[in-house]
Amino acid sequence: MIRSRRIYLFAAPALALIGGFFVYPIVLSVQMSFTDFAGVGQAEYVGWKNYERFISRDRYLNSVWVTLKFTFLVVLIQTLAGLFFAALLHRMPAIRNFCRAALFTPAMMSFVIVGYVWQFIYSPYTGGLNALLEAVGLGAFSRGWLGDPDTALIAIVITHVWMFTGYTTAIFLVGFANISSDIEEAGRLDGANSWQRFRHLELPLLAPSFTVNIILSTVGTLKTFELPFIMTRGGPDRATNTLSLEIVNNLFGSYRFGFASALSIIMLILVVIVAVVQNGYLKRREENI
Amino acid sequence: MTRPRKALSFLAQAAVVALVLAMLLPVVYMIGMSFRTAEEINAAPLGLPDTLYLGNYARALDQMGYWRAVVNSVGITISVTALVALLGSLAAYPLARRANRFTKGVVMLVALGLATPPFVTITPIYVIFRNLGLLDSYPGIILAFTALNLPLAVFFYTSFISAIPRELEEAARLDNCNDWQIYWYVIRPLLGPATATLSLFVMLMVWNDFVYPLLLMTSPEKFTVMVSVYRFVGNLNIQPEMLFPAAVLGSLPLLVLFLFFQRRIVAGVTAGAVK
Repeated sequence: MIRSRRIYLFAAPALALIGGFFVYPIVLSVQMSFTDFAGVGQAEYVGWKNYERFISRDRYLNSVWVTLKFTFLVVLIQTLAGLFFAALLHRMPAIRNFCRAALFTPAMMSFVIVGYVWQFIYSPYTGGLNALLEAVGLGAFSRGWLGDPDTALIAIVITHVWMFTGYTTAIFLVGFANISSDIEEAGRLDGANSWQRFRHLELPLLAPSFTVNIILSTVGTLKTFELPFIMTRGGPDRATNTLSLEIVNNLFGSYRFGFASALSIIMLILVVIVAVVQNGYLKRREENI
Repeated sequence: MTRPRKALSFLAQAAVVALVLAMLLPVVYMIGMSFRTAEEINAAPLGLPDTLYLGNYARALDQMGYWRAVVNSVGITISVTALVALLGSLAAYPLARRANRFTKGVVMLVALGLATPPFVTITPIYVIFRNLGLLDSYPGIILAFTALNLPLAVFFYTSFISAIPRELEEAARLDNCNDWQIYWYVIRPLLGPATATLSLFVMLMVWNDFVYPLLLMTSPEKFTVMVSVYRFVGNLNIQPEMLFPAAVLGSLPLLVLFLFFQRRIVAGVTAGAVK
């Protein structure tokens, strides 16, 4: 059989686009990160200055810390909430499809809209949350949720989790469905109750779903920008100033293209490190179970 | 099941449904608030609308340039989805079928691209676009979104094509089909379900994104729906009578799409993730 090399031409348009508007920009980003490019005019080579600036200012290290804290909280709460709903719905076939769709609905909405709506819900005077607390007699707890450095980050975490819990639930439900019914049946015959079957049979067998869920939500959350951008602009007192927000502020706020590029490269490295470490750990965990 | 157990199970299911519906309260709140006047909202932040006041919508439709924005968003979304599906499947065919060092390397690079935050590329894309005169143009934004979504498409189609039995192709080859004919008449039709899943995913991403169009487009008549929501609602002191109708108008098209394709979307998203 003659196998022509012309078949590779099929890949040319896609690879050209990926190359031109994806790979080349990354290379350009690395290059720009060593300059003082300000968007216009000549770019001067400045060596490691942008990276030194990043390391020497608390402000930028703090944005990495905020990003990691935000990601950790989102992944933790979202995974537990997804597992909770999936474990329940797995046992309730009659309402499963309806509930899965309902939980998934917020993920269909845009970050802009979700961000604005929740910003209003959290707002101090006419916001829904404070009014709700007032109505149930917990008015003492009401506050400007996004204006308080102690609560701003967790308020955004909750919004993010609200959006994507349906996603996690759906993936866990696939994991549950993949558990052979023989195993469940055997557990039942051995007299294991619902909780025991969950704890000793299903939980270990769900290891691959944990891997997928945790990696997906980690990578997705590390690069989050929209919710803090819309809801707090990084405030109050930089409590919600994520690395991605810092990139955009440097780029379109103060036109420090060179420095913004350095921050982008740092972010890329951060994402790759976290993904590789996590993937390695979760895969080993899967094998040990 | 005995009767008390049945009753218990019914109660448990009712409790779960209630909990799930509680998760939808912010959406209900958003819709309810959109029909209330500013005075009503100020007087009672939680109440239901007294009447179905449509003034907010009239104002939002007019000031957002909603229909124009919908036309822009639909045009961009459809172009990107079609380009991503065509170019992605076309590229995936040789990558899936010719397993050698080159194709494996390319697939791995593409997978790596999936982990790259869009932020890493936005600065240089802005500069490249400015140099090419692509800022504030439809071809520019379509190219940017296409490039952003192609890695996912190539990755997705490659794993899908690998699962198609080779015998089908060999039979076609015996009938003197060339590579292009095999792609067009054998592979492409079999990719229907994969394309549907991928398209819904890409549509969702393109319609909902506001960062790319916000940074790359400047003329108001070219704004997408999300950018017009962003511009219309503003930042300081959000006014509910502007926010809520804009939020409903921005979400409605996709929520309706979701209502019809709910099963396919959920199945597709999870299949893509579990693979």
